[in-house]
Parts: sequence; C-alpha cells; structure tokens
Amino acid sequence: MKPKVAFFDFAGCEGDQLQIANLEEEILDLLGQVEVVSFREVMKEHSDDYDIAFIEGSCTRLQDEERLKQIRKNASIVVAIGSCATIGGINSLKNYQNLDDVKKTVYGDKANLFDTYPARPIDAVIPVDAYVHGCPMTKDEFLHVVKSLLLGKKPEIPNYPVCVECKKNENVCAFERGEFCVGPVTRAGCNSCCVNEGTKCWGCRGMVDNPNENSQKEVLVKYGLSVDDAIGKFKLYFGWQGKKK
Amino acid sequence: MGEAKNMHILSKEDFSEFINSLIADNSLNVVGVKSKGTKFAFGPLESADQLRLDYDVTLLPPKKYFFPQRETLVTYDVASGYQNKSLADTKPNIIVGVHPYDIMAILHMDEIFCETKSDPNYLARRNSSVIIGVNIQKMSESCFASSMGCATIDYGYDLMLTDLGNKYAIDVGSHKGADLLNKYSKNVKKALASDIQSVGKKKQEIMNKTQQEFSFSSELIPEMLGKFYEKTNFWEDHSEECLSCGSCVLVCPTCYCFDIMDNPALSLKTGERGRTWDGCLLEDFAKISSGENFRNTKATRYRHRYFKKGKYLFDRFGFVSCVGCGRCSSNCLPDIANPVNLFNDMYAESLKIGIQIDPATVPDVKIKSGDVIDYAPKIATIVKKVPMTANETMFELKLDDGSELGHEPGQFVQVSVFGVGEAPFGVSSSPTKKDTFELCIRKLGNVTSKIHTLQEGDKVGIRGPFGNGFNAELLKGKDLLFVAGGLGIVPLRSLFNYVLDNRSDYGRVILLYGCKEPRELLFGDEILSLEDRKDVEFKSTVDRCPENEVWTRNVGVITTLIPQVDFDPQKTYAIVCGPPIMYKFVIRDLKSQNVPDDHIIVSLERRMKCGVGKCGHCQINQLYVCKDGPVFNYSKIKGIPEAL
Repeated sequence: MKPKVAFFDFAGCEGDQLQIANLEEEILDLLGQVEVVSFREVMKEHSDDYDIAFIEGSCTRLQDEERLKQIRKNASIVVAIGSCATIGGINSLKNYQNLDDVKKTVYGDKANLFDTYPARPIDAVIPVDAYVHGCPMTKDEFLHVVKSLLLGKKPEIPNYPVCVECKKNENVCAFERGEFCVGPVTRAGCNSCCVNEGTKCWGCRGMVDNPNENSQKEVLVKYGLSVDDAIGKFKLYFGWQGKKK
Repeated sequence: MGEAKNMHILSKEDFSEFINSLIADNSLNVVGVKSKGTKFAFGPLESADQLRLDYDVTLLPPKKYFFPQRETLVTYDVASGYQNKSLADTKPNIIVGVHPYDIMAILHMDEIFCETKSDPNYLARRNSSVIIGVNIQKMSESCFASSMGCATIDYGYDLMLTDLGNKYAIDVGSHKGADLLNKYSKNVKKALASDIQSVGKKKQEIMNKTQQEFSFSSELIPEMLGKFYEKTNFWEDHSEECLSCGSCVLVCPTCYCFDIMDNPALSLKTGERGRTWDGCLLEDFAKISSGENFRNTKATRYRHRYFKKGKYLFDRFGFVSCVGCGRCSSNCLPDIANPVNLFNDMYAESLKIGIQIDPATVPDVKIKSGDVIDYAPKIATIVKKVPMTANETMFELKLDDGSELGHEPGQFVQVSVFGVGEAPFGVSSSPTKKDTFELCIRKLGNVTSKIHTLQEGDKVGIRGPFGNGFNAELLKGKDLLFVAGGLGIVPLRSLFNYVLDNRSDYGRVILLYGCKEPRELLFGDEILSLEDRKDVEFKSTVDRCPENEVWTRNVGVITTLIPQVDFDPQKTYAIVCGPPIMYKFVIRDLKSQNVPDDHIIVSLERRMKCGVGKCGHCQINQLYVCKDGPVFNYSKIKGIPEAL
C-alpha cells in the first residue's frame, strides 16, 4: 500500500507546492511511491484519508488553528514545507509592527472585517514531525525528506550554518564582495544556493539550534553596517525564532 | 645538489605551449590556479592563458582533488548488496601552480590517509596525480608559511616552477615530472649556473619574507599547548565570538575529517553512500544518538582544533599539522582563527605567568600502513530476533558469504541498513560462538529504529570487526570483576561468555550488573540464571523499583555493589562498561579498594563513523576510540581528559 499524502496551505505564496508541481520527470518516480489524495494546486479531488500531510504557509489567524489541529488528527506524519511553515517566514515581519496598523495597511477601510494575530510557524500550533526549510524549499531537499519518511527515517537536516556549504562550494565570501550575509547563523541544507549565484544568504532556513547572534551582529557592524541595520538583518526571516528566545 | 642537476628552463611561450599540449591530451585532467572574483581557485584549465601563477592563495587547497568535498564511496542495490565505487576511470590530475605550503600539506595528508589502514579513494587519486608546484610570487596577507618552515620546499613535487621574468626555471622532482616534461614540452634547456643561482636567491627571499610571524620558535607549539589544556579561561576568551561555522577547518589544507551519509534513489531499492567534509568546530561533530555531545562548548571545540593540529598529530606523526597558509584566519569573520595571534597570545601568557617551555622531543614515529579500507559492507541475514525489553532487541546475524565474523571480545561492527545509514554496535556474543554473532540494539536513532522493524530473514550490511577488544589471553589466570551498567553489559557479554566457555583458564569470575529499573534488565533469564552457577559470583541491582514491578535484589546505583564483594585487588582485573557518567564513580570506588590503575579495563562509546581512524568523530584528545579502543586500559587513558 502506497502511503496517501495530502498538501495544505495557510498564509504563504504556494511557492513550495509549485516546486513539487515542477519536479518534472521525478514527479513520476514520486507518484510510484505515494498516492496524492489532495493537492489543490494541481488537482480538484480531495480526501481526508491521508497518512502524510505536507503543510505550507504560516498560521496568522486564531481560526486557522482549528484546521491545523484537524490535519494533525488525520495524518500520522505532518511535514512543514517552506519557511512560512517551518519558521514563520517573512510573514513574521508583521510581528514587529502594531497589528491594527498592519491590517489597515493591507485592507484599508475593510480592516475590521479581518482577523489577524502574530504570524507563527506550524509547530507553534501543532507538533510537526519533519521540516523542509527554504523560501522556497528546494526540490532536492523535499525529495530527501520524502525518501527518508518512506524509509521510516527521521530526515537528517543540518544543524550547521550555510558557511559550511559555501566553503565546500568554494565561493568567495559574500562579505568579501561587500555584501552583508547571515549565512553564519543560518541553517544549511540549501547548498548555499544564493551565494553560489553571487548574492548573499538572507536566512530563509532559519537559524541553527545555537546561533552566536551577538558575534554575527558584531561581524555585520565590523563590515560597515549600522547597529540598527545589523539588527534588521535578523528580522527578515528570524522574526519568530528571535522573539521566542 | 640534486636541484642543480634537474633544473631546466622553459621560456614563458614554451611553458604556455607545454600547458596547452597537456590540456589537449584528453586522457588527462589538467587543473590550475585561475582567478575567481577577486580571489583565486584551482579549477579545470581550458587554456594556459587562464593560469594565474602570480596568485597569493587559493580559496580551497588542492587537497580537493584527492579528497573531494563530496564523493560516493559505495553504491548499493537491495537485491545484491553494497559495492565499492570504482575509481578505475578516474583521469590523472595534473595540478598546476601548487604553492610549497600546500605541497607540504599534501605530504601530511598522505601520511594520515595511509596510517594503519589506507584510504583507497584518496590513494587512487593521489597516486595518479602530477603536482606542478610554483614558488610563491605574492604572499597573502595572512600567510605565515615562513614561520612553519613551509614557504619553500625541496621535495614532494613532480615539477617546481620559479618565475625568472621571461622564463620559468623548472626543477624536476620525480620521474613522473621528467616524463611529463619530455613528452609534452618543446625547447627545454638545461639551466645555467646563473639561473640556478637566481632560483636560490628567490627562494631565500621567500623564506625571509613574512606577512605574519610567531614571536617564538614553532618548535615550542606542542609543549606549549600541553601546558595550556586546562586553562579554560584562555580558551573561553579566545572562542567567545566563534560562530561554530567551521570555515577555519573546511578551508584547511590538512583537515581530513568527514561524515558519511546514505542517499537512496527514489525507488528506495538502490542508492549511494557518500562522504563529505566535516569539521570538529561544528556543534554536533561529537554528538551521539543518545543526545550526549562530548564536545559541547565553543571553547572545547576551538581548543580541539588547535590541539589536533599542534599536539595530537605531532605526537602521532612527528609534525605540527599546520603549514602556515593562513586560510583559516582570512576566512574567519570574527577573526579569531588566526594561529599566529593565538599562539603569540599563548606565548605572551606563558611568559607572564612564568611557564617554562622547551621544544618538544620529536616522537619516534613508526607509521604502520596496512590493509586498504573496505567501505563496502558485507551482507548478513538476521537469523533470529529476540525482543529483550521495550527498547532493546537481540539480533543474531549470519554473514551471507559463510565466513566467520572473526571478532575478539569487545570489538564492534558497523551495521548498515539500506538507505538509512550505518551505526556502530559492540558484538555481544563470544567468539566461541562460531557461525553467527549477536548484537543487542537499543532503539535510539535512525539506524537502530529501522533495525527494530526488520524481521528474521531480512538483510543488513556489516563492516568490521573494528578496534581493540579485551585481551582475553592477557587476562588468563586472573580474577575477573565485571562491572556493567545498562547497555554496558552488551560488549562485556562477549568477554564474559568467552570466559565461561574457557572457565578453567581464569580465576574467580564476578559480575556486577545494574540497570535503572527491573524491566530494563538485559539478557534477563541468561543473566539471572548465573545465580545458580557455583563458578560465577553474580550480583545485580536496579537504581529504583517502581511499585508495579518486582525486584528482590539490591536497589541502588551500581557502585553500591562493589563493597558487597570481597576480592583481592592485586589479583583482580576489573572490566567496566556502562553509560558515560558511570565510569568516574566506579573507578573511584575501585581505586578506593586499592585496585591498581592498570587492572582497570574500560570500554568506551563515541560516535564511531568510519571505524578506521580517519573521519575524526570518535576522537578523544589524541586517541581514536574506533582504532585505539573501544577497549582501553585505564592506566593509558587516565590522563586523557576527554576520555571519562
């Protein structure tokens, strides 16, 4: 019996599900291993009978918690996919602002019609069994996690910073190119893809378990960033993780 | 001098022709130093014009051609097992533009990868490679190769270039180099005395040039480190800003630690097992699946790096394994990885507090190189699966090729589960049991959890046996006191049962066994039946007994059993195995009973990964648990702080 899988989305851009839809030839191999019973982005059928639930997006409203809890009840394995689901993602940027102002900015005079609360990752609401980090997640890591789960294995997700992959890929350090990078505190696993392309790490995979945040900020300042801007570097993706501490 | 005889001259045009004709030969993989942004890197050459022999330092050292960042070691097919990845079609690398310090680093790596057991992948690539060195024309800002005596070198290369304006002087260092020059170059001339003199002068200039230097002789490093191990504040102060990013070790030309990982294909039926660079500065490097991290602070990891380079490798091989390339310092964002700064601080501190440091005596090194490492596991079948407790199961295994495991009591094996990975387990059966062997496995991590789902008839992979076991011969005629805590009974059982099978060879046999609660007792019936044996003295204990369980024997930690047995410390050897926390207390109590240090034998658990003393994960100070242990005589490790 192939395990039944379902995909769900909350507050996010659906870019992670798009990565799956874009798996191309590998999607056929994947479909040889699992049966997809619900995937709004690519099919119209839906079933509540599934073993593995992949959840994209962060939870930004109290009423979404109920839906998450229902998914948790139905699924034996819950996987958070993409930064919004795994670490709160850029949705957490709003957590630094007054939520009434945020609503007004987005919905104008209809603001009262909408609820919101601080954005949070899925595991702030329900237990999560596995994570596919990234904004968007990469196809390779998604497949790595799926294969691990099919083998009954906890996926190995690095607990070291992006610098490790950057060094292996022999990149010129982003700081040497005048960029301000948060790779030294960001969880690896992306194969340092952004730096490979000549830019810097933005931190989309969230921080490692024990980041040396002070040292990272000092480095940013040493290389010429103002203290405020250095702190700002931690807000783009680390909003939820940073506040939790 | 050898140099004079083998020195040749090529004009720069002819040198370019030489490189281009190498490139034109498709059977060769010609790589060299090219620019990369504002930096330099070794990469494939398409034309001699790309060569930048005026570079200061490359981002990564050329070791990546022998020990690549990522490589496949074995492939597997669930139907047919594991197979070493063939390197037969690997093209020889011609590496152009290697600086002397990187040549010295390669020589260090050669010894490390050949010690005890040699690494086939490293050697295959290394032996087919040709190294064309170049004397430094521009020294990088962080270079301290002169301080390490590696700014120039007289050996270790096949060809060595020196830029003499419109021509290169080429020193031929090997037959391989001479053949290459003969076959691919034109218009090679013998060097004139004046050319030889110019090269000598250039080398002298480089040797005298320093960007950074020690305020003391580098010969003091091993001894000085030895005196600073315990100075916790010194290490904490210097590592405060460490990001644990591993950059310093990943760019190092002499670092060789690696991790091993499985990558199954989506079919889950086939896949690969590969290795990738790892680093002792990374947080989880010494963590085992029970969650215990044997180097869990920035300061201990930071200290380990300096000790590994400056003391442990010196003690093992007779060289400080740093060549002064300066990559670690230029790649450290908080700028704390510069060995020059650290050692100069250390030297200043030692002067301040008045520590006398003498140059270390170079150890008498006898490097044994033996078998080639076989990374491909043999296939074994689970012939019996016996659940022991809620979390522990005994597996009886038989090798499919019909061979015996051939282990000594106390040795361990690496067990592979297709696609999931590999983990080390002490063999729990005695070698007197010939056809099969037993493992008792606790469900903890990925491999152990998966093994528990396997059934009789299922296949696993086996490498080993590895390490030093208990020396059953040496213990003959002695009284034996076994002290086992929890899972520690597993490796001890291999010796214990061996002793019972050869009972008349040994004196008294005492077993003290403790676990947390009665339901965690391993080998329950077998163990408790010992109470009926006249030739074995057996006592057991539990830390606590919950109300719903029954236990009529001792309650208390394992050490409470020691005073309950009367033994002659001079005639008795204590054999101890248990959770990491247990050793300290058991050894303390044994010593208070006057058991001499060399009568205490322990078996240690670490994160054994490669099993053959290379990958670095199980290292405790200078020792590799997988190779030097897991069984150690206490007298040999009592001075080793990371051991117990």
